[in-house]
Amino acid sequence: MKHIKLIIASILFSTLFYNQQIGLNLSIFSVLSLVILAISNTHKFRNKITICYSIIYAFTAALVFIQHTNLSILANIIAFITLVGSVTESKSSIYVQWYNGIYTSIVGYFHRRFINQNIKEEETKKKTIDALHLTKLIGIPLVFIIGFIVLYKNGNPIFNDIISQINFDFINLQWLLFTALGYYLFSNIFSPVQIDSATNIDLQTSNTLRQSKVSSVEALKKEKQLGTTLLLLLNILIVFYIITDVISLTTTNSTHASVLSSQVHNGINTLIASIIIAIIIILYFFRGDLNFFKDNKMLKNLSYTWIFLNAVLVFLIATKNYNYIASFGLTYKRIGVNIYLFLTLIGLITTLLKVSKIKNSWYILRINTRIAFVLLILFSIMDWDYSITKYNINHAPSLDLNYLINLSNNNAVLLNEYRKSTNLNTEQSNRIFDKHRDYINTVNNRNWQEYTYSNLKLKATTDKTITNAYSK
Amino acid sequence: MHILSNIGKSSLLAASIFWIVLLSSDLGMNWDFIPYMFLSLIPIYIICALTILITICPIFWFLENDNCSRQRIFKTYFPIYTIIALGFCLYRVYKSSFDILDLSFYVSAYITTVQSWVWFAKTKNKQH
Repeated sequence: MKHIKLIIASILFSTLFYNQQIGLNLSIFSVLSLVILAISNTHKFRNKITICYSIIYAFTAALVFIQHTNLSILANIIAFITLVGSVTESKSSIYVQWYNGIYTSIVGYFHRRFINQNIKEEETKKKTIDALHLTKLIGIPLVFIIGFIVLYKNGNPIFNDIISQINFDFINLQWLLFTALGYYLFSNIFSPVQIDSATNIDLQTSNTLRQSKVSSVEALKKEKQLGTTLLLLLNILIVFYIITDVISLTTTNSTHASVLSSQVHNGINTLIASIIIAIIIILYFFRGDLNFFKDNKMLKNLSYTWIFLNAVLVFLIATKNYNYIASFGLTYKRIGVNIYLFLTLIGLITTLLKVSKIKNSWYILRINTRIAFVLLILFSIMDWDYSITKYNINHAPSLDLNYLINLSNNNAVLLNEYRKSTNLNTEQSNRIFDKHRDYINTVNNRNWQEYTYSNLKLKATTDKTITNAYSK
Repeated sequence: MHILSNIGKSSLLAASIFWIVLLSSDLGMNWDFIPYMFLSLIPIYIICALTILITICPIFWFLENDNCSRQRIFKTYFPIYTIIALGFCLYRVYKSSFDILDLSFYVSAYITTVQSWVWFAKTKNKQH
């Protein structure tokens, strides 16, 4: 029964993906994978975490169809791996679920084969001998027959003609291999496997820090002294830096791209160094018994202050980046800076939580990877090419049209509307016209497997008349 | 299982996969390829032997002892090995712009190393 399900799934896999681009097929594949996982692991799908990941996976599948961006495809693949890992062990950390998910997806079949061989060694041994005999029975005569055919071909022209007429073109070997790949993939995820060593360690490791039985008060005092001095000096230094930065921000009134760019990038480099050092220092001092030391209030307060001041630094760079965007519009790099700043802020908040709630470093890793996953899903909701184009056309005082033209075809309709409403130079106008024409042709020439939401939109809007105009 | 017999089986497996993937391309099946198929066994055997002796055997030689069985080595290190190997193979295939020769080579290399791990880990359990 299992094999019949897998064969049906693998044929569907080939129908969906063989010689096709990504589109509706990935969304259908996601539903198919969910069905296969749910059928073979029904009891696991009663778990709330697994249900939650299933919903996220289905949501990313819908995003692939609606947005059709590289980010939505990446989010869908990571959601798939997470779901498979969650079916393996839902209580483990998300990065262990990724580890289990990747492992299951790529070699689950081989792992199960190895485990089954150990459980039913005797039974398998018997089968192996039969299989080996069968392989010899077919393989050895086949090799000799092929070898002799090649020899005789050169000795007799009539024999050569007959052999040359044998034609295997009716067999589509590529399609068969693709179907085998589908079978292998579905067979891997049919009953997900677990990496015991990593999963067990993860399940046994809690988030809370425990006080060691042997701790020297004298050593802790010295460490506290060192930490207090270091953090105090670093706080003074960062306050001084922030004051000078605020002065520089309020006095510099340049609108030159190079000045604004240099301000943002230098600020980012400073921030990267500052945040990494801040987190390492805090993690070092609060790695063990200093968390439970009665006289650690000063050190904790200094750490909180430093985290807060680093957050101020994040805010200052965000302001510089905002100025840059306000003058020259959005680009991927500028959005990337904002995302990095947001992630940094989250990193600082989780470090603050680690110190205040006396958590260990695993807590930081666990919570931050989970947040990264959620953010990836949230960011994939946006069609960034379209949003960048729309924002820049409507708000940017200085529009870099060539940058927008070089983005993916997701902004082609928007750019074409802009072309019609504005007087552009001939070169840019032609490039937008070509881009839009390519987009319409690509969308119209898609097979049903490659359909996206843009196909539906195109049918529903007046673009159909444009298509006719182009075809004429 | 002895290392030599493992390498022999791996070479046959690698050669079969390599030629099946290669012949599935636009090249198609041609009787003129038959001698090359047999000849290709020599370089494939050398590559298999080197890969197995350099990347798989040392893991068992260095880590296997009374406290650490082959089964435990398999469960702990096979996932790491296979993920790194897949990453490397995918990277090489991508860098070659999905050239059919590279694709055949890396697909066969990946599947063969994975199967070779199973053969290695299986052997000792029977002997114990």
